[in-house]
Amino acid sequence: MTAFNKRFAIVFAVLAIFAAACTGSDEPAATTAAAPATTAPAEAPADDMDDAEPFKIGLVTDTGKVDDKSFNQSAWEGAQEAAAALGVEANYIETEEAKDYDNNIGLFVEDGANVIITVGFGLGDATIAAAQANPDIFFIGVDQFQGEALPNLAGLIFPEDQSGFLAGALAGMLTETNIVGAVLGTDLVPPVVAFKEGWEHGARYTNPDVETISTYHPGGLDVAFGDPDWGAATARQALDQGADIIFGAGGATGNGALIEIASQDGAFCVGVDTDQWNTVPEAQPCLVTSAMKLITPGVADLVAQAASGDFAGGNYLGEVGLAPFHDFDDIVTDDMRATLDDVLAGLNAGEIDTGWPPG
Amino acid sequence: MPLASVVLGLVLGAVLIAVQGHSVLSAYGALVLGGAGDADAVLRTLQKATPLIFGGLAVAFAFKAGLFNIGGQGQLLVGAAFAAGVGFGIDGLPLVVHLPLALLVGGIAGAAWGAIAGVLKATSGAHEVIVTIMLNFVAGNLTDWLAANPWQDRSGSNIIARTPLVEPSAEIPTWGWLPAGFLLAMIAAFACWFILERTTYGFEVRSVGANRHAARYAGISVGWIMASTMAVAGLLAGLGGAIESLGVDGRFEAGVNVGLGFEGITIALLARTNPIAVIPAGLLVGLMEAGAAKMQFESGVAPEIIDVIQALILLFVAAPMIVRWLMRLRDADDRRLTLGAGWGR
Repeated sequence: MTAFNKRFAIVFAVLAIFAAACTGSDEPAATTAAAPATTAPAEAPADDMDDAEPFKIGLVTDTGKVDDKSFNQSAWEGAQEAAAALGVEANYIETEEAKDYDNNIGLFVEDGANVIITVGFGLGDATIAAAQANPDIFFIGVDQFQGEALPNLAGLIFPEDQSGFLAGALAGMLTETNIVGAVLGTDLVPPVVAFKEGWEHGARYTNPDVETISTYHPGGLDVAFGDPDWGAATARQALDQGADIIFGAGGATGNGALIEIASQDGAFCVGVDTDQWNTVPEAQPCLVTSAMKLITPGVADLVAQAASGDFAGGNYLGEVGLAPFHDFDDIVTDDMRATLDDVLAGLNAGEIDTGWPPG
Repeated sequence: MPLASVVLGLVLGAVLIAVQGHSVLSAYGALVLGGAGDADAVLRTLQKATPLIFGGLAVAFAFKAGLFNIGGQGQLLVGAAFAAGVGFGIDGLPLVVHLPLALLVGGIAGAAWGAIAGVLKATSGAHEVIVTIMLNFVAGNLTDWLAANPWQDRSGSNIIARTPLVEPSAEIPTWGWLPAGFLLAMIAAFACWFILERTTYGFEVRSVGANRHAARYAGISVGWIMASTMAVAGLLAGLGGAIESLGVDGRFEAGVNVGLGFEGITIALLARTNPIAVIPAGLLVGLMEAGAAKMQFESGVAPEIIDVIQALILLFVAAPMIVRWLMRLRDADDRRLTLGAGWGR
């Protein structure tokens, strides 16, 4: 084959791609051309003008993916759930860099979204600014505490300390060595600290003799939630020191801990945020439960409120709870369940000190 | 040659987009619109390009002395943190004093950070690649700690590890679509070119890079050149970080500059360590990053495709044989490529 032929082949390949691209973009053009004919009759009654415009739901992730098996995914599932209930479509943008928050929210604003969900406390400032600039759009900020309430912005927040407390209370009852461990993301992130304080206080609540070994990842934000090797090594250390039930709370770092514990006979592990039975199947041999934040129903509720126009700004307290015990259903006795119910009641009544917020 | 690599990278990226069932035209169209479609888009592209250019210069400059500076990330972080520290910590100064002071402190912090590796290399022979990589971790943890403890914004309900906003007198202005920081990046690129090509010091730097032993024999203080070159590299990266804090973010926040300093390596290689070529290289990557979100929004293509395209371009730049074979370019011009020269000597 001559050089000329090879070049020709490349040019041809490029042309083929562009041809494919062109036919691809022809299709939407054809449908939009036909669209006015079908929507024209609907425009006749003036009152229905608003209904002709479909309700638009947009979601901006934190620097993570919508399939991260954690909070971005839970929030996206909530948006999809709400969209399905309303019979509309939801769209998302995955944030690549923290500096892009404003721009990514702005893309949905430009597109005429009715409700915009932003996921993660990092987007808090950008969400407040966008909500102030666009009073006609509803905003939902997951994990964003609202200092001053705006009528069109709801912060979906969770009492992580209570979630951790419930898990800790169960751990205090399950441990035989009276040593419980925790492998955590960085203490730079307050919800992680809340989980840890709740976990330790919960364990002591049901087992005053318990000893706690809790370790934060020493690295910065860039690595603290993405270091499964460190998580595994730290979990191993805690096991060697006699811990027989360990809480893994810190993204991939915590998941690494769970998977390491799964290889140890007789040790239990506890997941975080979502039911990690489903998201980290490798941990199933040890995963007795997960300390959950119920993000999906929280987001779905708030979107439904926005769609009905009955939307309250300020803080919206989401629910927390323990995930099902799955294979360990037999190990958790009726007495333990009764105690957990009491703890839950006490937490809801505000009678139990979870150690968070400090002071 | 780099142009051919860019074209090949974009073509392969187009194939990947088409294979996923998306429209290439709408994807690349949205990418360009998002990066250059209006004044805001241009502003964002220039803002993204600025730290890339500084980071690219920090790698390119050190490379001229035969040093491979992997420490751009750490140098950028200390620059960003200390510039923000001066920016919010001092008030009552006029802009003409406060802003240059904050930039200067950020630059000096970066220079000091870079100089550590240079001095260690000059005095003990410790390899700069190892030292700069390790210093990246130290810088990351040091600046996270500063942002979470002594310098944390305690106002209101803030729980994030970040400093307060810098004073208005320390903010880098933006004129319409033109951020002043980008002008500084252009000036820095031309200054690097001038120093390297038109001064005795630049000649000494290049001599050390070309052949350390010959340079020593010719009476050049190799140790001084290595230490000072790393300091200049750190100064450049530190300025890039300072401009991020003072011109884009308005503060220093733990975690938001992650990876920014490493992209300088991509830029420097794409520019083949030519300081002037760093500008278009930074603009190209900056445009792709600025437009990625709009591309995802309009066409549904995952923004990671941008990283893939960058990696492909880099691969083609670093592996010229592939491009030459593909493009049947036989020009002798490419023999000058010496990407491996910094390693293991």
